[in-house]
Amino acid sequence: MKLHDYSQNLYLRIGTIQVIAFILLAVLGIRLYHLQINKGSDYEERAENQRIRIIRIPAPRGAIFDRKGNLLVDSRSTYNVTLTHEPIKDVKAENRIEEYANGLGIETEFLRDRINLLKKRPDYETMVIKENATLRDITWVETHSLEYPELGIQLQPQRYYPLGETLAHVIGYVGEISPKHLEKPEYQEKGFRPGDIIGKGGVEQNYDEFLRGTPGYRKVIVDSRGRIQSEIESVPPQAGQDLVLTIDLDLQRAAEQELRDSATNRGSIIATDPRNGEILVMASAPSFDPNVFVQGSATTEGRAQIAAYWQNEERPLYNRAIQGRYPPGSTWKIPMSVAGLKQNKITVASSNLLCGGGIRIGNKFTRCMGSHGTPPLKYAISKSCDGYYYRLGLKMGIEGFVDLVEDFEYDKRTGVDLPNEKISRTPKYYRKIVEKRYGGKWIDIESVFASIGQVTVDVTPISMLRAVSSVGVGGKLYVPHLLKEFKPSAAIGEKRASNYVEGREGFTYKHPELRTVEMTPEQNKLVLDGMWAVVNGGGTASRISMGTDFPIAGKTGTAQVTELGKDRGRLKDHAWFVGFAPAYNPEIAVIAIIENAGFGGTHAAPAVKNVFQAYVNGGSPPPVEDEEKNVAASENGVPQN
Amino acid sequence: MTSVIDKRQIRDFDWLTAFLAIAIVSFGVWQIYNAQPTQTYWSKQIFGLVIALIAMAVVAATDYRRLIDMAPIFYVIGLILLILVLIPGLGVKINGQRAWLQVPFIGRFQPSEFVKIPVVLMLARYFGNRKLGALKISELFVGIGILALPIALIMLEPDAGQALTYFPLLAVTLFLSAVKMRYVVLTIVATLVFVPVAYLIGVQTGLIKGYQRERIEVILDPENADPRGYGYHTFQSMITVGKGRLTGIKGDKGVSQSELKFLPEPHTDFIFAVTAENTGFVGCISLLLAYAILLSRLVVGAKQCPDRVGMLVIMAIVGGLAFQIFINVGMVLGFLPVIGVPLPLMSAGLSAVLSTFIAIGFVISVKMRRFVN
Repeated sequence: MKLHDYSQNLYLRIGTIQVIAFILLAVLGIRLYHLQINKGSDYEERAENQRIRIIRIPAPRGAIFDRKGNLLVDSRSTYNVTLTHEPIKDVKAENRIEEYANGLGIETEFLRDRINLLKKRPDYETMVIKENATLRDITWVETHSLEYPELGIQLQPQRYYPLGETLAHVIGYVGEISPKHLEKPEYQEKGFRPGDIIGKGGVEQNYDEFLRGTPGYRKVIVDSRGRIQSEIESVPPQAGQDLVLTIDLDLQRAAEQELRDSATNRGSIIATDPRNGEILVMASAPSFDPNVFVQGSATTEGRAQIAAYWQNEERPLYNRAIQGRYPPGSTWKIPMSVAGLKQNKITVASSNLLCGGGIRIGNKFTRCMGSHGTPPLKYAISKSCDGYYYRLGLKMGIEGFVDLVEDFEYDKRTGVDLPNEKISRTPKYYRKIVEKRYGGKWIDIESVFASIGQVTVDVTPISMLRAVSSVGVGGKLYVPHLLKEFKPSAAIGEKRASNYVEGREGFTYKHPELRTVEMTPEQNKLVLDGMWAVVNGGGTASRISMGTDFPIAGKTGTAQVTELGKDRGRLKDHAWFVGFAPAYNPEIAVIAIIENAGFGGTHAAPAVKNVFQAYVNGGSPPPVEDEEKNVAASENGVPQN
Repeated sequence: MTSVIDKRQIRDFDWLTAFLAIAIVSFGVWQIYNAQPTQTYWSKQIFGLVIALIAMAVVAATDYRRLIDMAPIFYVIGLILLILVLIPGLGVKINGQRAWLQVPFIGRFQPSEFVKIPVVLMLARYFGNRKLGALKISELFVGIGILALPIALIMLEPDAGQALTYFPLLAVTLFLSAVKMRYVVLTIVATLVFVPVAYLIGVQTGLIKGYQRERIEVILDPENADPRGYGYHTFQSMITVGKGRLTGIKGDKGVSQSELKFLPEPHTDFIFAVTAENTGFVGCISLLLAYAILLSRLVVGAKQCPDRVGMLVIMAIVGGLAFQIFINVGMVLGFLPVIGVPLPLMSAGLSAVLSTFIAIGFVISVKMRRFVN
């Protein structure tokens, strides 16, 4: 071969090049083995992760109805703008805050918070950055899908409270689960994630797990820009169960109207069916609009409004019916009467005690509003004789008060199906404090004050109504409740499929074991007679009598907030009335407290009467005044004389 | 006369080399289809293959010595094309590189691919005809000069990747032109020292651009690289290769890395990743073996050459192909930086296929005339 002539080692050199080429190819082969055989499954998983997205489909919450089928709460469809966590692509959302803020009209602060929250979540999750997106927002997101593929539009059923302030405390509201909640193990166990909507306050909170649906999802394949290419599977959401409340919306409206028309616009009215504890009315004034919490948290005005609710001295967010603790004043005389009879301090045959126009304990004279001689119990109730009860209280002593408290369960929550119920405070609670102050002994003057529901007695309206209404039904202490029924919810998917979601069964309220305040029928009747006389026998609430067709039994209360002489404005007496009707066969029990309004007979009793009136009228509001009738009639073109 | 030549030509025609090249291109067409099933790249590639086969036949039928004689003309034409491509309006700018000329009917083509052939011819012509004995320094500089002109023009595009593929042409030529072994060793040592030092100096002085630096750092330290940034291409390429596993993905239509656009440039620079995803380790190793056999056939052809010029032409082409395969696949497999070098015979693009087939045609031409003298 001629080539040999040119160089001794040319073949060697050609061979060297060939060997080098083979070595290079072998290096590639080894690397291929490493990537495809050793780590193949790892890369396969990564490829799958980056192309498969699970898009949650939020479930609509169950609707809420009143007992007559009036719609109280519903969900409506809104659109949200979402941001997806895209770890692979060169998208640094924090660098685009200004663009998002300008395009969607959101605050940069809020966006920054959201993005920080999102960063803590697994890859490819989404977070809502704007709720209630307008058509303009949706258009903006869609026209910028190439620049900001991380943004998306999501359909979201949003809670809507058509009644506004009406019934707000009972219903509560929904909102995004807070980061604080998310850290708690009980929420983590249930699989909550940031951005989830949960009930906050009211039955929305109490029955959240039933009202909340099961979200569905779409499993899709996306391309590198996050655009959906195809769907692998789709599971529709299961709607939450519809809730029927025991509330009667018409009565509720009538009660709220009474509170609005009251002297201070502050107070609470509750109505129950004494025969089973169903709550027909639960009003607390002032109130709030739950929609502010649902829609407002992302906007400045909304947040300002929420802050205003929190800072308002009138405390509109606070449900006075179950969270307000007030001295009950003379309404306390009803449980006192039952306790006196039960403890044999007075008897049906001989129930007379001295009024004496008041009582002297040491050198302090505590007076009665009148001078009632030595009245029997019925008269003492109807006239609300303080002197009578001072002496009954002294006879009972602290042990007698404790018995009373335990008998009527004033030392417990009533068990109403609402969150954050407060427990009443009674002599049982204050005993230690009093005894500590007075050298280990309960003192008589505290018994005197406690006998008329002052100083060591602060009760919630709900506990007072529960105790008093039990007198109407032979001592049965029903647990007041709002749940009438949960409707069933249909199953989702095929029964054998892996993504099958079981249907949910409907159910009604389950009464806990019934407690009864034991008393003889004679004792019961005597107290009832007294309560009947309050309205129908020339007693302190005679003005609200509705006649013999619908006799009301009840008790007024005027609870002192401060010592006499300083009772002006905010320190004025609280007006109470609690009662039921028809007196000897009650169908409805009502309690009203108007804060700092004055006499119970003047301010609270008429409010209760109007609720009874509405009940009698079949839930329709009390008849309008004649003048208004004329206006309405003339508008209708009917000539008036 | 012609009939005698024809018979001998048919007999000596390197069927296996041509068949391997055609097989690889056909395999490539399938992968181009896999990469971009909705586009027409795969059909254009078939058209390109036909043109390339014609060009190969023409070159093979031509006496390579005449081509060597004409090398300076080709070289000058090549330089002119490289200058033309730089003129805005004539040269088409893609991804910041003015590397393509728009030609009627054929479409875009890349002169830097073609100019390798005149450079090889020029190198072979000069080094194949020099006097025997150890290589002189002055001869070395002529070789560097032949290379420097086109490289300088290519760097103006700028296309560092293509420029890089010119170096093995000179390296092989010098290595086979009696350069002393101590110089070879010295060069290797110097390279091992100089490249990192140059890199560091380049980074310090800013001569190496930010994106180039990040691409290199991705390779040096893949764990800490930002998979969203410059590591994105490397990262996605490795995912694509890895998920092919032993025999490639099956059945799941429409979810491949290239169809979902996770893999960049799937039909050109990253065609090997597509191959890996679709045919797995088995397909990739088969392809690498095919390359190995093709290169071996060329080396055998080089050894059978009647003169040094022909041998140098073939070996320079072998060096160029091997180097380009290594750079491209190394990039796809994530251990070499991302530079825009197509995979010979596989990547879509007329220029690469055409120039490779012209080179093979040249090899055939050399082999067919091995007994003439």
